[in-house]
Amino acid sequence: MIYLDNAATTRPSEGALARAQHYLTECYYNPSALYGGGAEAARLLGEARAFLLSRIADPARFSLTFTSCGTEADNQAIFSAARRGNAVTTAGEHAAVSESFKELKNRGVEPRFAPLHKDGSVDEEALLRLVDEKTTLVSVIHVSNETGAVNDIASLARRVKERAPRALFMSDGVQAYGKIPFRLSKDIDLYTVSAHKIGGLKGTGALIRNKSYAGLCAHLHGGGQEGGLRSGTENVFGIACFYYAAQEKFASLEADAARLKGYRERLWEALDKERFVRLSPADGSPCILTVSAPGTRGETVQRMLWDRGVAVGTGSACNSKKPHSRVLEACGYENNVLDGVLRVSLCPSNTEEEVLFAAEKLNEAVRSFGG
Amino acid sequence: MEKVIIVRYAEIHLKGKNRGYFERVFCVNLEKALKGIRHELRRTSGRYLVAAFAESDAEEICDRISRVFGVHSYSLGLRVPNDPESIFEAAKRVSPQSGTFKVDTHRADKKYPMTSPELNAEIGARLLQTYPALKVDVRTPAHSVYLDIREDGTALVFGAFEEGVGGMPVGTSSKGVLLISGGIDSPVAGYMMAKRGMEVEYLHFHSYPYTNEQARDKVVELARILSRYTGGTAISTVKVTHIQEEIHKKCAAELNVTLLRRFMFRIAERVAKRKGAKCLITGESLGQVASQTIEGITSSNAVVTLPVLRPLIGFDKEEIILRAKKIGTFETSVLPYEDCCTVFLPEFPAIKPKLSFIEEEEQKLNVEALIEEALESMERISL
Repeated sequence: MIYLDNAATTRPSEGALARAQHYLTECYYNPSALYGGGAEAARLLGEARAFLLSRIADPARFSLTFTSCGTEADNQAIFSAARRGNAVTTAGEHAAVSESFKELKNRGVEPRFAPLHKDGSVDEEALLRLVDEKTTLVSVIHVSNETGAVNDIASLARRVKERAPRALFMSDGVQAYGKIPFRLSKDIDLYTVSAHKIGGLKGTGALIRNKSYAGLCAHLHGGGQEGGLRSGTENVFGIACFYYAAQEKFASLEADAARLKGYRERLWEALDKERFVRLSPADGSPCILTVSAPGTRGETVQRMLWDRGVAVGTGSACNSKKPHSRVLEACGYENNVLDGVLRVSLCPSNTEEEVLFAAEKLNEAVRSFGG
Repeated sequence: MEKVIIVRYAEIHLKGKNRGYFERVFCVNLEKALKGIRHELRRTSGRYLVAAFAESDAEEICDRISRVFGVHSYSLGLRVPNDPESIFEAAKRVSPQSGTFKVDTHRADKKYPMTSPELNAEIGARLLQTYPALKVDVRTPAHSVYLDIREDGTALVFGAFEEGVGGMPVGTSSKGVLLISGGIDSPVAGYMMAKRGMEVEYLHFHSYPYTNEQARDKVVELARILSRYTGGTAISTVKVTHIQEEIHKKCAAELNVTLLRRFMFRIAERVAKRKGAKCLITGESLGQVASQTIEGITSSNAVVTLPVLRPLIGFDKEEIILRAKKIGTFETSVLPYEDCCTVFLPEFPAIKPKLSFIEEEEQKLNVEALIEEALESMERISL
């Protein structure tokens, strides 16, 4: 199986698994235990925390809390930061953010959604117009999981702070962390990441916080782990996998990004232009190419590809009740484009041959659609 | 004193000379339902007794019996020698200790020295002595203690009649092929025919990759739930993708569904003949969707000679949903997996298709080859 659905999840890194094994079968101790084994587990957590944070942020300014997933980190950030007034986000967020924003309404905070450009990035001017003195939180996805469009969160955060100095700025970085090079600027208050998108395991995520924001609340209460911000015995093995997988990714981040960008373009070049339209921008994430074959159904083509040995993602389901991607709908595409969406997402272990094979199969599947 | 479950059957007593046959099938079905649980099944006149089971299995046995067609009612009770002393000891265990009650005696053994009213009075009085908080109320008692004096020198003592599912033993009314989709209706249709004693063979049509595996898994799960009532150990699936593609490409769009249904019926009839089934069963309800008009039904009936049973034809959706909930298939039926890709659904399906037009359109297809191809794709999935 040629796996090109890496924005959904990635194959766990074998190297990371092998190195982390020790923390599964040998050093399985509770990091809170006050004997040698506990201390060893706790040391691993400290090392992992320092590494994972330092790759994207200044450890003097930011801290990192481990969570069970990106969704948990998003929820904790949003429900801590948006307590009154209004909260602004984009129409292009992952459900972990957009559904949490809808929930804010029940808690007395007015959610506001900024429109998108056709490529899935947020309309910055429109977003800024929604920000006022009553805005407590602004949340903008870093890399769109649907199109790969990259929002300039550093510039947005700065401009938001100019307009509303007391507002907090957060960003869902699940599709950016370990995939594209960047550093968090001082205006960013909260940032969320996930392990299984970069070769780690499902069940591990993290919330990165600017130390200038002291209001982060715990959503799980208990043993006081993670400085009281996230109780529950730490997932030591999962965190070890996250750490080692990130080491691999960050070791060649820029070279991989450049290489994958090349594959992404070669894939697009190889697709039948009479059948496919491109939804992903050229300056977006090198890992994501979203296309549509109008007149087909993405979900069906996805299964045709699976049967031909290629796994890709889709933006639509063969479901008459909720047929289209909410985000791509917000980009303003017509129904026939929305029906036929496919998302090809790459990771550094993919090869050019795989990508070209996939392109051939994509052409073949789309041509055979409908008989 | 022996703990027993008393099983009474429904319509079998109506069957004159065939009664023996019906009873035999019923007995086999009870044994099948209780497979895997240690027990003994005894036949006494007009009743079955499940005995020699572990106390902890009683609830599971009752649950399974509650789904066997032909069961009119069942009771968890005690079997004792028919002398008043033994009966009283059993009644003491079955009786409540407070509230209103009555004793209700039935004598199958007409030679028994005491009459029913005498036994009621005798046992009732002794229970009142034992449990002073009890009060007799023969009209609307909160509890009853039932005494059933059998002809073999024993008595059955129990506290309640639990309602069975009724109907006739599955297998006494031949076999039918149920066209089962992932929807709410077809499982209910299968249930209703099984209730009348019909053995049900499940047949599902899918159009992978236009439909997904989750939708197929859902149908298998529906068949599994149904099989707790109907027996049956497998479901057949047939892939009709190519048929749909051909219809889509070559025929008038408004007839897509009509033509596909004619193929399904033809295939189902062939499967029925292979499996020794004598009819088809569908969940159609008149007027529910475009293909379920009398014209639609006529067009699909025209391609088969076996009778097509449609037990839901006069039911409202609400009535069907109520039954599906009772059977236990509703929750699974409403899982959000489509049984047909929207790409093959015409915007305006023909509501009253003319047979001549349908046949004309169908001539554009190689019907026989398509049927053969579909039948070759047939898979059996164990439940």
